[in-house]
Formats: sequence, structure tokens, C-alpha cells
Amino acid sequence: MSKKNHKTLLHCTVNGREHDDVVDDNTLLVDYLRESLGLTGTKIGCDGGECGCCTVLVDGQPRHACLTLAATCTDKDIVTIEALEVQGRLSALQRGFHEKLGAQCGFCTPGMIMAAEGLLRENPDPSEEDIRQGLAANICRCTGYVKIIESVQYAAAELKRTGKEVAA
Amino acid sequence: MNEIKPTRTIGVPQPLVDGPEKVSGKALYSADFLPNNCLVGRIFRSPVAHAEIIRLDISAAEALPGVRGIITGEDCDEPYGVLPIARFEYPMARDKVRYRGEPLACVAAVDVETAQKALDLIKFEYRELPAYFTSSDAMSEDAIDLHDHRPGNIEREVDYEIGDVDSALKDADMVLEETYNCPEICQVQTEPHAAIAEYDAERDYMTVRASTQVPFYVHIMLAKTLKMDQSQIRVIKPHIGGGFGCRTECLNVELMCALVARKAKGTVRLVVSREETFITHRGRPETDVKMKIGVKKDGTITAVDFQVIQRGGGYSGYGVVTILYAGSLVFGVYNFENARYKGLRVLTNTPPPGAMRGHGTVGVRYAFEALIDEISHRLKMDPIEFRRRNFLSAPTFTANDLMINSYGLPECLDWVEKESDWKTKKGNLGPYRGIGVAASHYLSGASKSVNWTGEPHATIHLKLDWDASITLLTGAPEIGQGSTTVITQCVAEVLGLDMTRIQSVTSDSKVTPKDNGAYSSRITFMVGNAAINAANNLKQVLIEAAARKLDCKPEDVECLGEVYRAASQDEGMTFEEVVLAALEGSGTITVKGNYDTIPESHGTKKYRGGAIGGSMAYAYSAQVVEVTVDPETAQVTVDKVWVAQDVGKALNPLSCEGQIQGSVWMGMGQAISEETVYHKGLGISGSMLDYRVPSFIESPPIEVGIIESIDPHGPFGAKEAGETSLSSFIPALTNAVADAVGVRPIDLPVTPDKLMELIEKRESGQKAAIK
Amino acid sequence: MEFMPNFQLHRPETIEEALEARMDNDEALYVAGGTDMLVNVRRGIEQPKNLVDLSAIHGMKSITLNSEGLHIGAGVTLKELHGHEAVVKNYTAISHSAKAVAGSTHQMYGTVGGNLCLDTRCLFYNQSEWWRQSNDYCLKERGDTCHVAPGGKRCFAAFSGDMAPSMLVYEAEVDIAGEGSIKRVPLKNLYNNDGLDHLTLKPGELVTAVHLPQELAGDQSAYEKARIRGSIDFPLAGVAVRLRKSVDGTIEDLAIALTAVNPYPQIVSGLEGLIGTKLSEESAMQVRDTVRKQAKPMRTTTVAPWYRRRVIGAIAKRLLEELAG
Ligand SMILES: Cc1cc2nc3c(=O)[nH]c(=O)nc-3n(C[C@H](O)[C@H](O)[C@H](O)COP(=O)(O)OP(=O)(O)OC[C@H]3O[C@@H](n4cnc5c(N)ncnc54)[C@H](O)[C@@H]3O)c2cc1C
Ligand code: SF4
Ligand code: FES
Ligand code: FES
Repeated sequence: MSKKNHKTLLHCTVNGREHDDVVDDNTLLVDYLRESLGLTGTKIGCDGGECGCCTVLVDGQPRHACLTLAATCTDKDIVTIEALEVQGRLSALQRGFHEKLGAQCGFCTPGMIMAAEGLLRENPDPSEEDIRQGLAANICRCTGYVKIIESVQYAAAELKRTGKEVAA
Repeated sequence: MNEIKPTRTIGVPQPLVDGPEKVSGKALYSADFLPNNCLVGRIFRSPVAHAEIIRLDISAAEALPGVRGIITGEDCDEPYGVLPIARFEYPMARDKVRYRGEPLACVAAVDVETAQKALDLIKFEYRELPAYFTSSDAMSEDAIDLHDHRPGNIEREVDYEIGDVDSALKDADMVLEETYNCPEICQVQTEPHAAIAEYDAERDYMTVRASTQVPFYVHIMLAKTLKMDQSQIRVIKPHIGGGFGCRTECLNVELMCALVARKAKGTVRLVVSREETFITHRGRPETDVKMKIGVKKDGTITAVDFQVIQRGGGYSGYGVVTILYAGSLVFGVYNFENARYKGLRVLTNTPPPGAMRGHGTVGVRYAFEALIDEISHRLKMDPIEFRRRNFLSAPTFTANDLMINSYGLPECLDWVEKESDWKTKKGNLGPYRGIGVAASHYLSGASKSVNWTGEPHATIHLKLDWDASITLLTGAPEIGQGSTTVITQCVAEVLGLDMTRIQSVTSDSKVTPKDNGAYSSRITFMVGNAAINAANNLKQVLIEAAARKLDCKPEDVECLGEVYRAASQDEGMTFEEVVLAALEGSGTITVKGNYDTIPESHGTKKYRGGAIGGSMAYAYSAQVVEVTVDPETAQVTVDKVWVAQDVGKALNPLSCEGQIQGSVWMGMGQAISEETVYHKGLGISGSMLDYRVPSFIESPPIEVGIIESIDPHGPFGAKEAGETSLSSFIPALTNAVADAVGVRPIDLPVTPDKLMELIEKRESGQKAAIK
Repeated sequence: MEFMPNFQLHRPETIEEALEARMDNDEALYVAGGTDMLVNVRRGIEQPKNLVDLSAIHGMKSITLNSEGLHIGAGVTLKELHGHEAVVKNYTAISHSAKAVAGSTHQMYGTVGGNLCLDTRCLFYNQSEWWRQSNDYCLKERGDTCHVAPGGKRCFAAFSGDMAPSMLVYEAEVDIAGEGSIKRVPLKNLYNNDGLDHLTLKPGELVTAVHLPQELAGDQSAYEKARIRGSIDFPLAGVAVRLRKSVDGTIEDLAIALTAVNPYPQIVSGLEGLIGTKLSEESAMQVRDTVRKQAKPMRTTTVAPWYRRRVIGAIAKRLLEELAG
């Protein structure tokens, strides 16, 4: 069927790569990332804005890809879970979630890690309360959050120890 | 040479073997498969709760360009269902619809807009029938039957009396009774249901990937509803985003996906919304529990007399099992001989519940533990002490023949009493602060599976090849609970190898052995035992090969994991050398391990359905919950939880902790904020805004104590770790609230509006008394 | 792939372009952060043919301090707002409010303008298209009965934004850009007591900024909302209180405003009697009862209206007592 949808030429950077893509005006960022770019690490867990599974960084700040129109991301820098690894190895946050069991089923994890990434970029030494507030838009149904807090604390300590920034 | 030691993995905290995929976004879940030319599936759902279908006109939708296939109830006349005795549900309604949102048709189209347009073109004519949204309405005299074969809308009535309840109650020094309402709960696993079905028309072959906890059951139901040969179907379970029982039975999602893929002669992806996931439901039924307990002055329980009514929704599902569990698992925590149970599972015009975490036990355990708290209060006895007066002593069989060989409840209670500083705090926390305790148990796999065919309960394959790596083949569904890690650990431990030598292939019917699925906490116990058996079988093969090369008797071979040798001075052979020796002549080796339960664990024959509840072992939990109640808003804050669980043996202490914390916290949701709400059968709380899964902010610290009672039958002594601690949270919380404000919440969840009403009632009562 | 209705997106870079885009196109709606608008579009509650995205307009994104007071662009995010030093210090309740909206991620891109212009909410309205259709819609949208008060012809959907009450107690004014002009009006005039049509904006009008007067800067204030969960939840009831008192504790000025208990954010009336007095247990109780009387929550949430009324009074009293010290 020919699509009569209005289109926009989207120029943006996703995980360090520049893209010029024609997108429908009504395409959500989460669908652009998952279906057009094949970046399926970003998940969909609700019908809009309630679970945090789709959280990505837009210009360094966490944002729901399911409530963002792709066409409004012109000239934006988008980072998804797929870009966090450092030279093929897990980032400090990813390692924290792995080793401290911040991920059980793993479905909330990409969004959770991206929210935590945003938090640590802004506040490298968060208190437990900061972590709770910073991740408060993300729901996890497996962990009861206890080990997620430990995972983020692990990453913060690790980054402090190695003197690295969150994002390589 | 002498310092060579086998690697130990059991009892050592292990990050999950599939963790790196999950934290890096590489793990693929069902909705992440995006093959070329994939069609989009969408479901047409009933707008009414109860109606006769007069006509479903799909002609306009079918004519829409871009629509590749539409199926309706006409396309499938084979019912499905998890229990062979209760298969009355069709993938799409045929004669009648019985709940709002029940599927009527499924469209496959080239894109989502077209699929949606097609749904808008479907015309549904119906004749509305009276609908019943509560158990009592459905049971009323003049109610019409939802199903002809279920008169009075009773799915199942269970009645038993064990011992002599009436005279035991007469002998009691105190008898208390209370009726508790536990609303319907939904799993709200983060991944909405999804399936992708690839139909190969040339071969008439179907491949389905689905978010399920039971790929084997899905396989059977696909064959049944598609009327295809089981051999022409392949079912794969990719990563799945949680289960908690919402997909412990085949769902209509995967069936419709396959049916419409065949109709469209292609590949269809059907990903349902969060709202539709609520409608698909299979959560915990609304449960009313009337509980009566008699005790002696010294606190010993003389008898338990209780009734349970469950609102069962429009179809059977697991219903019969749920109402039986509710009756049988009143036993097993404490020692008493006399019990009477009446259970009613009612059919209503609401979405069908299922087998949610803590299946069947949660409402009854809540009622029991809340009532004995009140009893100990009135006896002026410390509630922990009260529980101590009623301990079982293992090994034993309960009055309804549950086989109990290990019983760590005393140690659990000791732990929480000490760690929470119970003795100092109880009664001394000041106004609006309180502390409460409760205990619970859960089975480690049902001893008799629902689809019992005479095969072993669990089977594991280990493949060993020239590269000296071991491939673990298991059908056991990893759903985030860490089962693949635990099975890998079991194999590694027996062989003394590092876990990195073992890679696993899981849940692909073409490759992995059949497994019953991830439910009733069966995997660690049953599949773990099968894995130990398989690893021992492999070890035997390796030892024999080493013996041939080392020219000694097999019993003289010492297996040190990476080295096999004949005597301690011997250089020995490396693992690679032993593998090559073993492969000589035979080629690639695949060994197998099985596990079966023993008949003594199969439950009671004292009443019909008494097998439900039987298990090889029961895990125990105790927890103490500390709360603060806001005097102005009546909001309950859970300050801290101390929980101890007897897991038999913590094979992986890290995931035991994670599972226990997750269970406690899920119990908390049910206790303080979660409930499904309907408006004339339409789910009002079908979103993650209105169905309130706890957020980061109000979730408490949860301190975990692990108690190891080493069950004689468990793999290395292990029992279940992922369900037991859910149910005891709820009574521990209401007991704590009662301690804080002096009134006892009865109905769940303890939301501030309910609690404020109770507090105000108490206050006005007091004022009245003073006047 | 999520289903999205079709529309054309416009991305003006100036306020004038925005007004043009809105007026020149049929069935056009504004979207700022989108945290509410896109949910409603996805649910078919809004079916715009054109969406005018305000996020590319630079002129609405700053907070500036001048002699008149604090000027907050409508495009300022809630996070920028609650972290802003002058807001935290001089208009504390506003910072509390911004922090209380949804969860941290929503605050990153949800805007002040969007929050003030938030649609009213009701459990029969904030549902999917299939749901509302199955329930025969309602007065607020395509239907002809109200499921909350079936006899009546009024909509009681509750205004549930967290920002408005805190801004109201500071006597905020808003700049409204319309055809050819920008007018400044008291924030309270932005609202009608009507769940169907709670904004007084004329078609195409745009809120461009909020002004907080200098005279009230530094007055003590606080905002608190009742909710079941500590984040994500909309308010079940929300109260902002601003109090100015003399050294000896005499009340010199007092304002209280409510949200989530009426179709519009409401300034509590009848508090004049407290001016010139010191707060007593008795007068605090009176305030509590006054608040309860003026709050008229209806069955628009799953939590019972009577509770929302009880609790809003209790919170008002508590905040007042805390501020009065
Ligand atoms: C899960 C969830 C929870 C939420 N919880 C809360 C909560 O607790 N409290 C709360 O207050 N809100 C809550 N919200 C709603 C929302 O996130 C906030 O209100 C937010 O501030 C809205 O801002 P926005 O920029 O995203 O608005 P948008 O969604 O972009 O717009 C909202 C409305 O305002 C109009 N509008 C936007 N800007 C202007 C302008 N400058 N002039 C005229 N009209 C304009 C739009 O046309 C639209 O009608 C929640 C949302 C979600 C998804
Ligand atoms: S109050 Fe009535 S008219 Fe208004 S949204 Fe709710 S149901 Fe509809
Ligand atoms: S998918 Fe749930 S918030 Fe975006
Ligand atoms: S790990 Fe499963 S939802 Fe968070």
C-alpha cells in the first residue's frame, strides 16, 4: 500500500554514527531505533511513558523513546544501550548490573542502565537517595530494586577508582 | 601437581551466564526478531462482557489492500487449555464471548496502519447476555451459565475434612474467625506478550518464537489448534522479560499468531500492548478467604476451618489446580491434625486468572498468618513464640500427606528475630510505627505434572566433542530466574570444571530435550537433579576413558576437573586428552540425565485432587516488616524488611538473594498498592499508571538471610528460592500496621483510603467510648 | 511497531511561526515535551491532523531574573525549573512541584507550559481507543453521558498538573501569544471550572512564559501531593501553601491552592481571617475544613473521592503548621 504519511528528513547521530533518513512524521523514536536501525536493545514495556524500558539518551539526557517523535530529533545526539560497551567489554555500569545481579530477566535493564548512565554523567557520586530519584521513572518487576541500587553504586565506585567518565 | 583441585561452583555467588547479553542490549526477546517481509498481527477484541455472537463480518477488512489474512473463531474449532480435564477455551471466541477484550479475530497485514484500519472495518453483531463481574453475582440463583457444562457457574468445588474439626474446635480455648478479601493481582512482567510465527507453506512447517514459560505446552497446543502434526512444528523460546506465571500456560497470543501466519502464508509478528497483556491476564484471582482457627491456651493450634472463593474469570485455565492448592497448602508450615476446607472456583465475565507466583497459596497464607497474629495478641503471647509452639518436626508427613524431609522454619524465625532486633522493637516503636512477623512455605516443583505422560520429570543432555567443550542442552525455560546458570553450575560442580567450559543451548524444540517448563519452582530441584545425573553419567564415561589410557581400574581414577590421574604422584591426563580418549571409537558423545519424583511425594489420596500440593520438598520463609504510618494521610511506608528463607542449599547465593528480594517486593505490591479494578468488566487499571507496581521511591531495603537445611532429595540439598517469600510479606505487613495504629487491616491492598477509614472508625469508636 | 495516527509535524523556530502553523492548518495542536500529548495521541484521545512542535523554539527556554521578578519560558523543562537556584530559594513550592511531577525522566523533557496546559484527567477518559469505544465514550469526547455523574451534563475530569497550585500561590502571571499580540494575564484566568474545556485559551493561543512577582520572592512555601506511589503517579490531591509571617509569628500573608480535586487548579478562598493572627491549633483546623469544603473530588480516579477530600485538608494543615513553625 502506498503510504501517504507526511515525511521529514531526519539528520541525527545515533551511537556516534550520523544518519540521514526519511521518517514518517508520526514515527516514534523507539520505532525508528528498533525497526529502521535494528537497535532492538531499546525495549517497549508499556503503552506510553509508564515503565521506562525505552529510555535512551538524547543530547546526554534520559528520555522516553516511546513519547518522542523521531522527526523532532533533528541534529540530536542519541545514545542507546548498544553504544555503552567499551572496546567490546562491558562498561562499568553494565558490569555492575551483571555482577551485582541488577538484571534478572533483563527486559527493564537497557532502559534502567540508560537512566543510570544519565544520572552518573551528571552526578558521578550519587547517594542512595539520588539513585532512587534518578531511576524513579523506571519500573523493574524482578529485582525489587535492591540489587539495581547496588549495581549503580558498584559502577560509581568503579569509575571513581579508575578515574574514568561514565561514557568512554 | 598436588595443588590441582576441582573447581567449586556450588555455593559461590555466580553472575548469570546470560548476563552479558542482557546488560548490553544484545539479548533478543520475541519482539526483537524482525525478519524481512514480516507481517504485523493485530487482534480484534470483544467490546462486551457476555454475548452471543450473531455475526462477525470481516469482508470489508479482507478486501483492504495490504491485508494478508484474517482469522476468526471459524478458523479454529479446537479448544485449548492447560489442564487436560478443562480445555474449553478457543483462541478466538466461537459461539459466545465471555469477557471484555476476548479475542474475536486476528489480522495480518503489511504494516500496522493497515492492520489497524482492517480492525476498524470488522463488524461485530451480538446479542448481549447478563454479565457477572463478581463471584457472588455469578453464583446467584437466577444467573445464567457462562458454560453449559458448568452449572451454576462453578468451575470446581472442593470439600475435605481431615481429622475431626468440630470436636477440635470445641476443645479449643479460643476460636477466632475473620473474612479476608484479596483482590485480583496481575504479574505485570515488563515484557508484554509477543510471538512471531513463520509458516513455511512449501513444507507445511511452522516455527514459532514466543514469550512463554512453557514452550512444551505451547507446542502441544499449537499442534492441537492448528491440527498439525507435532513433528511439523518447532517452538523456540527466546529471552523473555519475566513471567511470574502469566505465561505458564499456552496463551491465545501465540496460537492466533500461528493461525494467522498459516492463513497469510508467511511470517507474522504479534506483539500485544500493555493493556492487552492485562486483558490476557492469568494473574492471581480475586480471593475471599474465611478463616477460623482454634487454639489452646498454650498456643497450640487445634483445628483450622476455612473457605475460599476465587473469582475465576471466563475460562478454566489453571482454575481447578488453584483452588486445590489453596486447600492443600494450608498444611506444611505448622503442625495441626484437623482441618476442613471448602473451596469454590467460580466462572465470571472477567479475564481469566492463572498461576501467579505463589500459586494458590497467597490468600490463604495471608489469612492464616494474620489471624494467628491476632490470636497471639489476644493470648498475650509473642507472635514468634506462638509460631514456635506449632512447629513441625521433620522428617514427617503432614495430616494431608505432604512429605517434609527438611524444615528450616525455626532457623528462619530465629534469624529474623535477631537481625530485626525484634525483642527490643516489638511494642516499643512509638506511635504510628510498628513491626510485624509472618511465615510461609512453597513447593519445589509439583510432584505430579499436569500433562503426565509417564516420561521422567526432567531430562538434560550433555554433548561433548573434540574441542573439549561441553554443550548443555536443556528445554528448561530461562525466564530471568537464573535457571540456566544453576543448571550449568550443577554440571560444572560434578565434573569439577570451570563453568566457562560449558555453554548452553536452551528451549528450542528441535535441539533441546523436552521440558515441562518454568513453573511451580520446579527447575532447580528437578532439572538440577537431572543435570547432576547427566554430569555423573558423563563423568563415568570420562573416567572409563582415562582408565583405559592410564591403564588402571576406573575406580582408581581420580577426577580433578581439568586433570584425571591414577595416583597422586601421577602426571595424569588433561581434560582435553581424556575427551579425545573418550571420543576414540565412539565419536561425539551425548549423555543424558533424568529425574523423577518418588511416589511418597505425590500427595494425599484422602480427597479428590489431593495430589495437588505434593512436592519433593518445601522451602520456608519468615520475615519481619517494619512500617511507619503517616498520621495525616494514612500512607504506609515500609521502612525495612528482614527475610530469611530456607532454600535447602543456596546453589547460587547471588540469585537466591535476588529471587527472595524480588518475591518479598512483589508481595509488597500486593499488600500496599496493587489491584486490578473493573468497570462493568472493562479493566480500569490496564496501564502501569493505574495498576501500581511499586516504584523505586517507596521500595524498602530488604535484608536477606539464607538458611540451609540441606534437603535429602534436593540437588546438593537445594529447594526452591523464588516464590516462598512472597506470601509472608503480606501478613507481616498488616501485622506491622496493626502494631502501628492499633487497628488491623483486613482487606487488601492496604491503600491509604482504606487505612484512613479504619483509623477514623477506631478513633470515633474510642471517642464514643470516652463520652 | 506502535500504531500511530497520521499527522503532519511542524517545527517552528519562533513564536510567530508557531502561531502561524497552528492557525494555518486544520485541527492543529501544540506539543511541547509530549509527555502527555503523545500519550493522548497514541490513545486516539487527540486526533490532530497537524502537530505543532514547540521544542525548536529558542525564545521560550530560559529562566531570567529581572526587577519585576522571575521570568520562566514555557519551554523550560521541569528539571531546569526545580534545580534553578532562584526558584529553590525564593519560590520553594514551585521547586517542590516540579520535582513531584511523574518521574525523573519525565522531568528531563516535560515542560512548564505543557504542565500548566495539561488536559484534565479521568479514569473513563485516559484509556485506550478500544476501551473508550467499548464504554461508549463520554461527554468529554465523542459520547453523550458522563460515567462519573451519569445524570448530569458536566464533565468533572480533574485538572492534575502539579505546577499550577504552586504558581498560583505566588500570583503568577502568564504571557499568552495570540493573533498579533502577547497579553499578560493572571495564571488563574487561564482556567475554567469545566473538565471539558478547562483552559480559557482561544484557538491557536500559546502560553509563552510565566512571571513570578518580585514582591513575593522569598516568602516561605511548600507543595505536597497525595499519591500511592512515591513516583510516576499523578496527584490524587495536591496542595501548595505560601505563608509570610512577622518575626513574632503573626501571619502577614497566606495563600493556598489545590490541584487534582477539581476540574481546574483552585485558589482557596476565605483565608483572610487568618491575616494578622498567629496560627493556632484551632485556626489550622479551620483551614483544614475550609480546604475540604472547597475541594470537590469526584470518582475520576481509582482512589475514593472522600479520601482525596480528607487528605487534601490534612496536607494543607500540615504544610501550614510546618511553615508557621
Ligand atoms: C507516566 C506519567 C506520569 C505523569 N505524572 C504526572 C504527575 O505526577 N504530575 C503532573 O503534573 N504531570 C504528570 N504527567 C504529565 C506530564 O508528564 C507533565 O504534566 C508534563 O509537565 C507535561 O509537559 P509536556 O511538555 O510534556 O506537555 P505536552 O504533552 O507536550 O503538552 C501537554 C498539553 O499542553 C499543551 N501545551 C504544551 N505547551 C503549551 C504552550 N506553551 N502553550 C499552550 N499549550 C501548550 C499541549 O497542546 C497539550 O495539550 C505524567 C505523564 C506520564 C506519562
Ligand atoms: S468526568 Fe465524566 S465526562 Fe468527564 S471525562 Fe470523566 S466520564 Fe467523561
Ligand atoms: S515503553 Fe514504557 S515508558 Fe516507553
Ligand atoms: S530485571 Fe526483569 S524487569 Fe527488571
